[in-house]
Amino acid sequence: MSLFGIIASIIDGVLVGSVYGLAAMGLTLIWGVMDVVNLTHGSMIVAGMFALYLLTSVLGITPYATLLPVLVGGFLVGLALYWIAVHRMIGRAPLMSLLSTFSVNLVLIGLGTAVWGTVLFNVPVSFPGVTWQRYTFPGTHLLAAALTAVIAACLYVFLYRTRLGKAIRAVAGNRQAAELMGIPTTRVLALAFALGVALAGVSGMLIATLFPFTLLSGDAYQLKSFVVIVLGGLGNPTGALLGGIALGLLEGLVTPFIPVSWTLVIEFALFVTVLIAFPRGVFALRRS
Amino acid sequence: MTAILEVQEVGKSFGGVRAVDRLSFVIEEREILGLIGPNGAGKSTLFNLINGVFRPDAGRVRFCGADITGASPHRVARLGLARTHQIVQPLEAMTVLENCAVGACFGRENLPRARAQEAAREAAVFVGLEDRLDTPAAQLTIAGKKRLELARALAAQPLLLLLDEVLAGLNPTEVERMIGVIRRLRERGITILIIEHLMQAIMSLSDRIVVLNYGKRLAEGTPASVANDPQVIEAYLGDPALARELAGKTRA
Ligand SMILES: Nc1ncnc2c1ncn2[C@@H]1O[C@H](COP(=O)(O)OP(=O)(O)OP(=O)(O)O)[C@@H](O)[C@H]1O
Ligand SMILES: [Mg+2]
Repeated sequence: MSLFGIIASIIDGVLVGSVYGLAAMGLTLIWGVMDVVNLTHGSMIVAGMFALYLLTSVLGITPYATLLPVLVGGFLVGLALYWIAVHRMIGRAPLMSLLSTFSVNLVLIGLGTAVWGTVLFNVPVSFPGVTWQRYTFPGTHLLAAALTAVIAACLYVFLYRTRLGKAIRAVAGNRQAAELMGIPTTRVLALAFALGVALAGVSGMLIATLFPFTLLSGDAYQLKSFVVIVLGGLGNPTGALLGGIALGLLEGLVTPFIPVSWTLVIEFALFVTVLIAFPRGVFALRRS
Repeated sequence: MTAILEVQEVGKSFGGVRAVDRLSFVIEEREILGLIGPNGAGKSTLFNLINGVFRPDAGRVRFCGADITGASPHRVARLGLARTHQIVQPLEAMTVLENCAVGACFGRENLPRARAQEAAREAAVFVGLEDRLDTPAAQLTIAGKKRLELARALAAQPLLLLLDEVLAGLNPTEVERMIGVIRRLRERGITILIIEHLMQAIMSLSDRIVVLNYGKRLAEGTPASVANDPQVIEAYLGDPALARELAGKTRA
């Protein structure tokens, strides 16, 4: 493997990793605002994947035009999930919301497998790639990374430059103080949760433009999200994006040398190392 | 004079403890009403009942003529009733200015971001935090955090301000400055209900004082009359000599 080959592999890893970062932003936003570990995250990623499949194959929409419906749909599903599984667990032991979201996740995955089974789906997406030396970066990877960058930038602007974003950050900082300053905190929690789910859905949709998937793919991506948010510092969306890029970089670096089956082993060795050595995250620049 | 806040027969129990027991009083517009009483008398609980953190077991609370009994805290805040916390609650990751901007954005005026920023700056300057505007709240001293509590409440442009021990934990110089700030607040037309343990300060600040003991009103009146009330002296001030000294101070 030439040096160019390794560099190309790393660049491709970073492109894909940014999408993992997007998924993790959803998970970490929810954690940061309401101290809830959303274990429906994996099934919401899968829901995004299936939304892409259904909207393109059944309704004939072009793949990238599904982005907006997936965002909106994810948001609405997120609102529903908040009221069903999370609202009553706010302020109680973290284990409660962990268990309730875990159960909802099982129900959703169970329903999905009953309908679609666990066969492999593949959504054909073609987009012209870019060739560099002897290597071609797939257009889907480039576009997924570009869309991720746009969505992440929008999220940043929303959180730091709008009134509602201010309210979300205030609730993340201290819910009681925020409520006493006139912020309807219950609605803000529901909004933040829905936003986190929408991000999971969109990242799933983007991942499905890159790789084939099954109904059970969510677990693996949910695990990646955990690695990423630990790298990025819990509750920190900006850190999550950087964490995703770092994870992608690592995957790009090791794939030329190591069988794919080892990737998870390496990632989780990293996970444990980071937890022990950098409990606040490697990219914990600023907690929102 | 018109009443801005009416508390009527309000009660709240925690298990067997009657923290606030059928309490009634009124605050007039532009008044500074002092609320004193021994530790555990129910002062902070009363604040929580007024601004909706707790729903009263009994009684009613009326603010500017509207019944706000059991309304959620954010709704009460939007009506123009702001408060500070006995235990400071800054939004630690935000700067002083951002903290105040949150207050301004979601307070009575419901200001858009740019205007909220202005109101935030003005409130921060008003309490004397002008050289800390961009400091993260977590890095403030305790005196700074107490000021921030006040600035944030002020940025909301409230009609009535509930101050819960804003002077506690401050050194004498800081106490003097804070008293000056509270006086200037009243000059701006803000009505104030203040809880304080520093007798000298509350006696000189308040127009009227309500004394709580075991959740009940023990006495009510001018600072001098309260300080001379034998019941108050017995239950609270303890030492008649101290009480006479205080009464003397308020007259001077
Ligand atoms: N959330 C709560 N749960 C149970 N008991 C409470 C709660 N809040 C207050 N109490 C009890 O109610 C009583 C009144 O407490 P409160 O905090 O109102 O007193 P306070 O007058 O503010 O005292 P301090 O001067 O010490 O601040 C106390 O007996 C207290 O233990
Ligand atoms: Mg108290």
